[in-house]
Amino acid sequence: MSDISRYGYHGKILEVDLSSGRIEHKPLDPELVRDYLGGRGLATRLFYDRVDPACDPLGPDNILVLATSPLIGTNAPTSCRGHMVFKSPLTGVIGTSNSGGTWANAFKASGFDALILKGSSRVPVLLDIRPGRAELLSASHVWGKNIHETTEVLSEGAEPGSPVKVLCIGPAGENLVRMAAVANDRNRVFGRCGPGAVFGRKKLKAVRVSGKQKIEIKDRELYQSGLDQALYLMKQAPVTKRLLRELGTAGLVELINLISMLPHRNFQNCSHRDEDVERVSGETLAKTLLERAGGCFLCPIGCQRHTAVPSRDGEGEKGEGPEYETTVLMGPLCDIYDLEAITRANYRSNELGLDTMSFGGTMACAMELFERGSLTPEDTGGLDFSFGNAEVLETAVRMTALRQGVGDRLAEGSFRLAASCGRPEYSMTVKKLEIPAYDPRASFTQALGYMTSPSGACHLRGGYAVSLAFFGGTKEIPRFSLLQSPMAIRNMQNLGILQDSLGICRFTGYAFSIDPWARMASGVTGGDFSVTRLEEIANRVAALERMFNVEAGVMAADDELPARFSDVPIIAEGKERRVSRDDQERMRQDYYGIRRWDERGRPSRELIDALNIRRRKS
Amino acid sequence: MRVKVRFFAYFREIFDGREKNVVVPEGSAVGDLLDHVCDTEKRRAEVFKERALKPLIIAMKNGTSIQSLDGLETKLENDDVIAVFPFVGGG
Repeated sequence: MSDISRYGYHGKILEVDLSSGRIEHKPLDPELVRDYLGGRGLATRLFYDRVDPACDPLGPDNILVLATSPLIGTNAPTSCRGHMVFKSPLTGVIGTSNSGGTWANAFKASGFDALILKGSSRVPVLLDIRPGRAELLSASHVWGKNIHETTEVLSEGAEPGSPVKVLCIGPAGENLVRMAAVANDRNRVFGRCGPGAVFGRKKLKAVRVSGKQKIEIKDRELYQSGLDQALYLMKQAPVTKRLLRELGTAGLVELINLISMLPHRNFQNCSHRDEDVERVSGETLAKTLLERAGGCFLCPIGCQRHTAVPSRDGEGEKGEGPEYETTVLMGPLCDIYDLEAITRANYRSNELGLDTMSFGGTMACAMELFERGSLTPEDTGGLDFSFGNAEVLETAVRMTALRQGVGDRLAEGSFRLAASCGRPEYSMTVKKLEIPAYDPRASFTQALGYMTSPSGACHLRGGYAVSLAFFGGTKEIPRFSLLQSPMAIRNMQNLGILQDSLGICRFTGYAFSIDPWARMASGVTGGDFSVTRLEEIANRVAALERMFNVEAGVMAADDELPARFSDVPIIAEGKERRVSRDDQERMRQDYYGIRRWDERGRPSRELIDALNIRRRKS
Repeated sequence: MRVKVRFFAYFREIFDGREKNVVVPEGSAVGDLLDHVCDTEKRRAEVFKERALKPLIIAMKNGTSIQSLDGLETKLENDDVIAVFPFVGGG
């Protein structure tokens, strides 16, 4: 490895103890960089070395690490993503969340590679970071303000040419809502697993950054060869060239319905009327509410939806969204096909700081509990929680973020909500994380991805098998293959680990895989980040995430889908489809074998030694 | 036989609509149907590369990719719904 304080990295970590107010600048260990690269890998290692796996996620001992990658600070396409790792207040297992935007680049330009947040302040604080200096300031003037207001207030007074970037929570995080997000750039969020509640518990309202520190590129020719290839391929592939810009991610809505994978009524079935689905499709959004597409920093793809809707008082309002997951989880999953209502609820979630995915899953669960009489009108304060009631969405978002009335119970997530009603079987979660908008019965590969994702049911950490479902058809990877799903999902998960550790966007994967990134990462750092080495890093990170989870109490039985998916079939490709307990067990054991974990899902000693994973520092 | 072809994403502009009802002779295959609807050079260029589907163009028969059936040789039956679209990503 070349000089770590120069090429690709600054070689500096900022460690902040919010209990004592102590702020330390620490050197970045070159071994960590060699073995964990950056982003998700680096954050996981820094987290694992410091956290007590038995800690209360909403206690002062939880630790949150935010890391950037060696590509952040270059001009590599989409290289703008930061990664957070923490113990999740929603799931109790590793929380791992990723966001694009401009904050990660600005943080790195302040001269640091990673940020470690420990302890808990007694009063609301703002962490202000500039080159060579970081300090904790009072945040009492923005406590209670929403994400957009906070961003505006904290951005005021920036010197011309030296913009500040704000990462912050809204009321949902302050109120310790277990699905609270952390946002940057107003509408880009670290959404999943509840990092906002960890910020809220630490009384950390925001992290403001500015600076112009640059990194250098060691081997420009090697870097450029990867970059040229990446840009060329992104211009060739229809998805990255035009489709995501034209339709957003919601361009998938009708197609996922076509392959019987679009969940309905809290995953009771995947049956919709085509004309209903069309009302919430990406095509319809593009023709009605969309004002323009937008992109994160350095992104040529442009999937952002900048939209406008008429508001209830007749005035129009503007905002961002919805993307695919929000559209489906707040929409068809709740039997709602009203694009304006979904968009408004999305706007409120953005402002208040709520993960739209876990909210949608929790709302659908609440609607099923209401339908079955386990949640009564008395419980909801008279609100009609019937499936299909679009009117209630926006109100429920607000009540959840503010923990008002029944919102106080929704704020706990669907697992705790359903359990509190005595009906835990209606929570569609794995490890207490709400399932994304692809029904696992429609693809065994996706099912196994949800089961084995380190953070619970997440399509991004668990492996995104939808492309396999489309090509599902190729003889190589059938949609319903018990035999091939374990290897396929391991490969998808590893690709995801590397994308998260490189600080780049998943959607580049529609144009090319890892080779151009390997050349760019090696070129920037002067280190060996060949495809083979990157694959080893991915396996190491997967093992370390699992080691944390095992220490936090995860067992093989936690790698399982809710009973609905084994007991109640959907119809796909003309046949009844379910993922039986036996099928789950078989895929799980095959997957453990491929990962070199034992039959109880614990990384083997031989694997830990072979990957040279250091044991926890005591 | 009467079958329906559905279009998605930018194929709706290329084919001037979201779906077409087509009458095809008995024994026709998916390839014959796509041949029939690709009635201009532009349409053909979007769907075919020589005699095969272009890379990243997907055709499905009643929700099943034709690649897991008999490809363009997949036989049609009355009331089949054939979907054709460029591979769309997201999530």
